[in-house]
Amino acid sequence: MADVDAAQRALEDALGPSEVLSDPLSRALYARDASMVEGACALVAFPRSLEDVVACVRIAGEHGLPIVPRGSGTGLAGASTPIADALVVVTSKMTRILEVRPEDRLAWVEPGLPNLDLATALAPSGFTYAPDPSSQQTSSIGGNVNTNAGGLHCLAYGVTSNHVLALDLVLPDASVVRLGSEAPEAAGYDLRGVVIGSEGTVGIVAAVCVRLTPLPPDVRTMLFDFETVEDCAATVSAIIASGVVPAAIEMMDHGIVVAAESFAHAGYPTDAAAILIVEVDGTPASVRAQSEAVERAAREHRVRSVRVARDEAERGLIWKGRKSAFGAVAQIAPHYHLHDCVVPRSSLARVLAGVYEIAARHGLVVTNVFHAGDGNLHPLLSFDRRVPGTLERVLRASDEIVRLCISVGGALSGEHGIGLEKREFMPLVFTDDDLAAQACVRTAFDPDGRMNPHKVLPEGARCGDFAMARGADAAGAAASLPEGSWI
Amino acid sequence: MDLIHPHSKADVLEVLREASRHRTRVLIVGGRTHMDKGNPCETDVELWTTMLDDLIAYEPAEMIAVVGAGMRVGDLQRALAEADQEWPVDAPPEATVGGVIAAAAVSPRRLSVGAVRDSVLEVELVTGDGRLVRSGARTVKNVTGYDLHKLVTGSLGTLGVIVQVALKVRPRPQARRTVLAGGGLETAARLLERVPLPAAVLATPETTEVRLEGWGEQVEEQTLAVAGSASVIELLDEAPFPLRRPWEERALVLEAAVPPSRLPELLAEAPDAWGALAGVGIAWVGLDAADGELAVVRERAARLGGIAPVVKGPGGLGDAPVPAMEVHRRLKASFDPAGVLAPGRFWGGI
Ligand SMILES: Cc1cc2nc3c(=O)[nH]c(=O)nc-3n(C[C@H](O)[C@H](O)[C@H](O)COP(=O)(O)OP(=O)(O)OC[C@H]3O[C@@H](n4cnc5c(N)ncnc54)[C@H](O)[C@@H]3O)c2cc1C
Repeated sequence: MADVDAAQRALEDALGPSEVLSDPLSRALYARDASMVEGACALVAFPRSLEDVVACVRIAGEHGLPIVPRGSGTGLAGASTPIADALVVVTSKMTRILEVRPEDRLAWVEPGLPNLDLATALAPSGFTYAPDPSSQQTSSIGGNVNTNAGGLHCLAYGVTSNHVLALDLVLPDASVVRLGSEAPEAAGYDLRGVVIGSEGTVGIVAAVCVRLTPLPPDVRTMLFDFETVEDCAATVSAIIASGVVPAAIEMMDHGIVVAAESFAHAGYPTDAAAILIVEVDGTPASVRAQSEAVERAAREHRVRSVRVARDEAERGLIWKGRKSAFGAVAQIAPHYHLHDCVVPRSSLARVLAGVYEIAARHGLVVTNVFHAGDGNLHPLLSFDRRVPGTLERVLRASDEIVRLCISVGGALSGEHGIGLEKREFMPLVFTDDDLAAQACVRTAFDPDGRMNPHKVLPEGARCGDFAMARGADAAGAAASLPEGSWI
Repeated sequence: MDLIHPHSKADVLEVLREASRHRTRVLIVGGRTHMDKGNPCETDVELWTTMLDDLIAYEPAEMIAVVGAGMRVGDLQRALAEADQEWPVDAPPEATVGGVIAAAAVSPRRLSVGAVRDSVLEVELVTGDGRLVRSGARTVKNVTGYDLHKLVTGSLGTLGVIVQVALKVRPRPQARRTVLAGGGLETAARLLERVPLPAAVLATPETTEVRLEGWGEQVEEQTLAVAGSASVIELLDEAPFPLRRPWEERALVLEAAVPPSRLPELLAEAPDAWGALAGVGIAWVGLDAADGELAVVRERAARLGGIAPVVKGPGGLGDAPVPAMEVHRRLKASFDPAGVLAPGRFWGGI
């Protein structure tokens, strides 16, 4: 049985009374992330050092509290939504940059550091930390690591995993290990690679060694607008087929262009069916060559206008509209539900048409703003959950969207992860044996199941033989959320 | 030694179930080009993956190729070249895809192409006890559960047989040039700083090879930058990279990995057949025999925060400490419960 009072006293002794919260308001604040799933927790702790993190894990273990690691809470899958008696360990007071070593192309940082703060601090050194999720102002490096976050520029630069050399992990038994290395190769299995994207289920990341990427000498940002979604989507494949891998290819459809424009005043063409933002970077000569090829691909697909950012200010403006798109949809309706499937680039047009059809059939407004170069869709359903029956329609539409993406060979999640929201979809893409093997990996780190229980794997997935109900639907998935959490 | 040549995934499943039942120890073999990487171990049979060599799916516009793990790297590169693409690993053509992944072979172009693990999107694995498990997806991004495919990359055949993989491939650069310059590590460090985005900078004791890849005009632009910072000996277009690998002429080759700035210390007293990747921290060091010199380089790499496994010749991986040994043991026990897959071949005696 969990002894919350004793745990609280021990945590207050170890961290100081001001770093432990148990009042109802704080507990409610930390009972959810940016997804729709809500839960509950017993205590919230704010470590300030590796030693504090160790103390949190040890004390939670001694008093029987499950642990939920949390960065900035911008996750969209319910992965940091706590359940029942959990101790939420928030890293938001661990925001130091510990060391920057350009000569080794690495930096050590604390997990709570917001992504953008790192990029900003590095800029004068001529380097950057490449992964740049749209949430980068807020989301933490530790959260990025645990969701293997993508970003606007992962088409050319790759996802978080490509940019993390090593990490210090506090295991569920409160021991500390350094996984990976400052050197390019390390002894042992790539446990670093397993922790990345593990959604806080194998330990708490207490420090991260990131790889520094040289800032490109030149960059060009272009905005293309199209009269049809099909032409816009086809341009994406055509660019790749021409042998160019731009730094970024982002697509926005009409609905989101209108919303973003009235919010960011980026000068987007609000009568376009869809727009593409393409950024190429490299040496001046390579930027010229790439831009020409990209423009040619767009012209072959009836681009209506081409706008090239003339300076840093205009470039910032074009990106501002894209980055504020999620915020801007609040104008459409108070709530949104977002999916994060990845599909082959060549099926983008077909899948988008399917998404519009599904939304229309369920009487919902859908807009799309997404990482088109990666085939990473983000269909965004806007709704007002206070209207009876709406939530059920949203869940049904979501279910159909997920199945549509899977049916063309896609993945369940490109960057937001599985968390609580998608775990019951896992049997759609994995066999029982696949899931058992995944459960073994998790158990190898956390044999007693202390760390962020109920997340990622569907109920019933265990290391060893098991059988479970296959292919639950979204309504079923909502109904099968673990006791103590709800949408 | 018995040899087994499975023709299908089903064959592999059958072989490993039997092996686990009878405690027959299995050494997994691909193209035999990376077998020296790993500790010596006793096994009863060799399982050759080379019949699992189908090109299963390849859509150039997706930049993803799905192949049987026994496919030869040379065959794969030829298929990709038809669409002007490549899998940027630079392994010998007779190596197999699965072998390159299991050995986590390091590309001389690591600076620009990254680690092998970054290009492995999906893996199908047959575990030691004969279960087929898949991880990842045939998409360039994917956060769907635990990345088993990361775990098996570099596992040296101790967790299962990689039978099929989806690889992230990329367009072949339109122009490729190697600029040979005078001067070793110091020159390399200077060039790394001054040349914009080189594909690789490889130092040897007396010379530096700068690899330039990309658009024609870009390569010219970069060549000027090299010429402005070092004395150029030769420009070679379409040449192999590296031009020469003198370390491979020795009986034994170590692949040391240290933080990049520590390369000069690592190599200060090393014998003269080495090549080092500036900005990366990999150094291939050729030695005449597994005598005292091996221990010296290893000890030095360890002191600098790195490792130095042997990749050619005897000498094994070395005794660098393995972090989270308990986690390693549990993983091994889950994926190979009977302990039949090359026992002792991996780090830490796993
Ligand atoms: C407007 C908006 C835009 C977004 N855009 C993108 C995008 O472009 N790309 C993208 O990938 N994501 C995006 N996201 C999703 C989200 O921002 C990312 O998943 C982000 O990485 C989460 O970081 P966080 O600090 O908020 O983590 P949290 O939400 O707090 O946690 C996420 C997961 O990581 C775990 N975790 C956090 N810190 C630690 C730690 N130190 N140790 C162990 N586990 C830990 C948690 O338990 C949880 O499982 C967006 C979200 C929003 C709201």
